[in-house]
Amino acid sequence: MSEILTKLEAADFINRSFKPLPRSYGDALVEAAKADSRIVALCADLVPPTETDRFRDELPHRFENVGIAEANMIGIAGGMARSGEIPFCHSFCAFIVKRALDQITMQAAYPKLPIKLVGFLPGVATILGVSHQAIEDVAILRAVPEMAIFEPSGPEYHAAMVRLALDWDGPVYLRMKRPETPPPPFEPRTLSIGKGVIRREGGDMTIISAGLCVAESLAAATTLGEEGIDARVVDMASIKPLDAALVLESAASSGAIITAENHSIVGGLGSAVAEVLADEGIGLPFKRIGVQDRFCEGGTTPYLMNQFGIDATAIADAARQVMRRKG
Amino acid sequence: MKAKRNLEELEAIATRLRLHVVDMVAPSGQGYVQQGLGAADIFTSLYFSEARMDPADPLWPDRDRIFLTTAHNTAIFYATLAERGFFDIEALKTYVTDGSALEINSCERLGPFVEATCGSLGQGLSVAVGCALAAKRQGRACRCYVICGDGEMQEGQIWEAAMLAGARGLDNLCLIVDYNFVQSEGSMNRVMSLEPLMAKMESFGFACQEVDGNDIGALLSAYEKARATKGKPSFIKANTVMGKGVASLEGLMFHQLRFPPEVAASARAELEAQLGEIRR
Repeated sequence: MSEILTKLEAADFINRSFKPLPRSYGDALVEAAKADSRIVALCADLVPPTETDRFRDELPHRFENVGIAEANMIGIAGGMARSGEIPFCHSFCAFIVKRALDQITMQAAYPKLPIKLVGFLPGVATILGVSHQAIEDVAILRAVPEMAIFEPSGPEYHAAMVRLALDWDGPVYLRMKRPETPPPPFEPRTLSIGKGVIRREGGDMTIISAGLCVAESLAAATTLGEEGIDARVVDMASIKPLDAALVLESAASSGAIITAENHSIVGGLGSAVAEVLADEGIGLPFKRIGVQDRFCEGGTTPYLMNQFGIDATAIADAARQVMRRKG
Repeated sequence: MKAKRNLEELEAIATRLRLHVVDMVAPSGQGYVQQGLGAADIFTSLYFSEARMDPADPLWPDRDRIFLTTAHNTAIFYATLAERGFFDIEALKTYVTDGSALEINSCERLGPFVEATCGSLGQGLSVAVGCALAAKRQGRACRCYVICGDGEMQEGQIWEAAMLAGARGLDNLCLIVDYNFVQSEGSMNRVMSLEPLMAKMESFGFACQEVDGNDIGALLSAYEKARATKGKPSFIKANTVMGKGVASLEGLMFHQLRFPPEVAASARAELEAQLGEIRR
């Protein structure tokens, strides 16, 4: 009986495989915390889904589950940061950003405190539906001064997220995605603040993407390559500060840009890239791939990415469009 | 680091702070004068007797923290900070003038002795809970005091923070509600009563006391009792009278009071006379 119950308790709507998932972010946070006694972790009662269960078990005196109270969590983090600690606050993207925005601006960003907001379930990627989806979180936090926003494209970059968060002198938002099934073996990779990563070279056009859309962009680029379109793929893990130099260099060298993100087309990565281009007076064939200013629904991630037009098929279609406009 | 003063000295300080409040609000002809006069005894008792702090080292890690979460009650707050030695008293003349850091809602750009920027109501208690948790973790003896408005307790975040403070038994935390019974729209009863407040806070795990918030001696005893309480956070319901200390203003319940020069002048004369009495 008890064995059956343990199995039942392990289900959490995120792990679709019911096999043990790696904690690539959570393990990196525990290692960082063991090396730096200022690091503490807070959670608004979503411990395994935010990979903080190991932190809870191994560093219990530095872990605080504040209950289902996100606004309070950010205020408490403010008090801890003012006492010399570095709080990492955990919840789902939708809740940590939207339920606590005033607290984020006043207790983390305005005082420029080292408060690290860590959200899971980015964009459309959850079966839990519209209440749990965050398709506007990047737009909201991009407008908050002092805030940095980083989004990994896969578990190989999860440990780097902890490093980036610590390296940024102020508040940070990490937009995390837990793998839904055990990923194939990978080597951890590093990232730098304000730097994009060229994941594929190509001279005909550039796809600038982040998060879940990077893999889709790489798949689209492979398809496009078979059609004779040679696309560069940029992984813009540092959404704010943005790698403006790489955007401008990509515009100059490839002459056409599309952006692809698991987020609304309003205010996210696509807007940030467009702002850089417009500010420099650069006009070129350009298209933003993202959720088209509409609410979504719950479903499996591949289904939703297809349904809301942010998968490899949609990216390849947009790429063909801008190539036609490029002429 | 703890200033030792007798009751008479503290009452003189409270009167001096009230004079500053009158002088600071008078030039603009309106402002938070009633709340400032009403809360003068809370500020005096906390800053000039109860709390351990060092104006020369405002970030002293073992200092007691005082969070003014009802951050618009600034005339009394700034007067207190200046008289306590955190900044030049002359600066009070710039209160609510363009470019001055003495804004109508207190903000930490004034200096680190503003422990958090709290103008958006309901946030200060959470920050204090975070400080109290960190102090326990770090083994510091410091205490965290929060001055909260009564209307402010309608904010949901106050209750989130209170729930955690009670559940974690944060005995280094003391929440003082400045119970002047007025919020923006007028009497609290007209908007939404908090009663029974003592029972609510008790049920959230606080050790509760109700005192005359204009009686410095009673406030000091309440702080002492709070300090001696182990395993529970403390709650002090400090019943204050708006406009306290100026006969013509006492009990006038206005969130924002029109304060014409002649009223300010007579208030000033009255407080000067009181100060003379105390000095004799």
